[in-house]
Amino acid sequence: MTTIDARQQILAANQTAAAQLRQRFARAGTLVVNLISSPGSGKTTLLATLARRLAERWTMAAIVGDIATERDADRLRDAGLRAHQIVTGGACHLDARMLERALAVADFGEPDLLFVENVGNLVCPANYDLGEHFKIVLLAVTEGADKPFKYPGIFSKAEVAVLTKWDLLPHVDFEVDAVCEQIRTLRPTARIVSLSARDGTGVDELVCLLNDRVAACKTSSVP
Amino acid sequence: MHELSIAQELLRLCQARLEAGQRLQYVRIAVGELASVEPDLLRFAWQAVTAGTPHATAVLDVAWCPARQRCDACGEIAERQPGSWLRLCPQCGQALRVEGGDQLDLLTLTPAATELKEVTP
Repeated sequence: MTTIDARQQILAANQTAAAQLRQRFARAGTLVVNLISSPGSGKTTLLATLARRLAERWTMAAIVGDIATERDADRLRDAGLRAHQIVTGGACHLDARMLERALAVADFGEPDLLFVENVGNLVCPANYDLGEHFKIVLLAVTEGADKPFKYPGIFSKAEVAVLTKWDLLPHVDFEVDAVCEQIRTLRPTARIVSLSARDGTGVDELVCLLNDRVAACKTSSVP
Repeated sequence: MHELSIAQELLRLCQARLEAGQRLQYVRIAVGELASVEPDLLRFAWQAVTAGTPHATAVLDVAWCPARQRCDACGEIAERQPGSWLRLCPQCGQALRVEGGDQLDLLTLTPAATELKEVTP
């Protein structure tokens, strides 16, 4: 029997679904950001803060993935964000088809900015393109300074790395220079932002970045 | 973790390439160092998804593809061990770029020489 050359991406079906979503977001002029981190590093808290800071200028919505509970969507709604929860029931990541189905149910229309809060996990979500414009990886200063090299997949794919819980820095051994070096080793062009959603330090920088990117997305979208 | 869903996708792709009645003997895939996939877990998941199917004995061969680190001035760093990242070029001290290592690809598949026999009720 002959061997068949069957060269293709194993996640080709997800890539196809992601490409369709990407076209749809481009037509709608919606900037889509995929937030990825380990559980408890502050994705929901950061989103609530960003929602309050960006609400005057842009229409926004969020899709939130969790293995169980509606808690994160509730917290985001409390912050004034339209939010839809995907309960994955055990799946450790969101894929493009899950996002597509959730968007159909949520019926957000065409917001300027759509946040996708992935399932808390630094490994699996890195593989699944959701049609987003870029990924933000979050790393809390309480998580330790060795994480980028331990999870090279996500740190090489995320355009923006956010170091969260910056107000706790004096209380932990977190070697900032070493972490930034690791991130830049894996992705030399990474934008690194340090912030505390609790006391507001550094949040302006991320707000500016998002303002610029949403504005750019609007200009480049097909009318 | 997600190795199970990857194994399911892989089996689906393989089945789509087989003709009716063909049984899978051997599958070769490429997994990159940055693909966030553990080859041992994937082989285990492959056994789980093929169990009870005509492809239960199909061997999954994983070609591991390390990422490369490259210095713009000195070229590719040869002495890098997979899993250990160099922060700077050992020769000139410049920052390095990371290339490749993100493969998660089906490469080839080999159907078994004997076709499946029609099961008569």
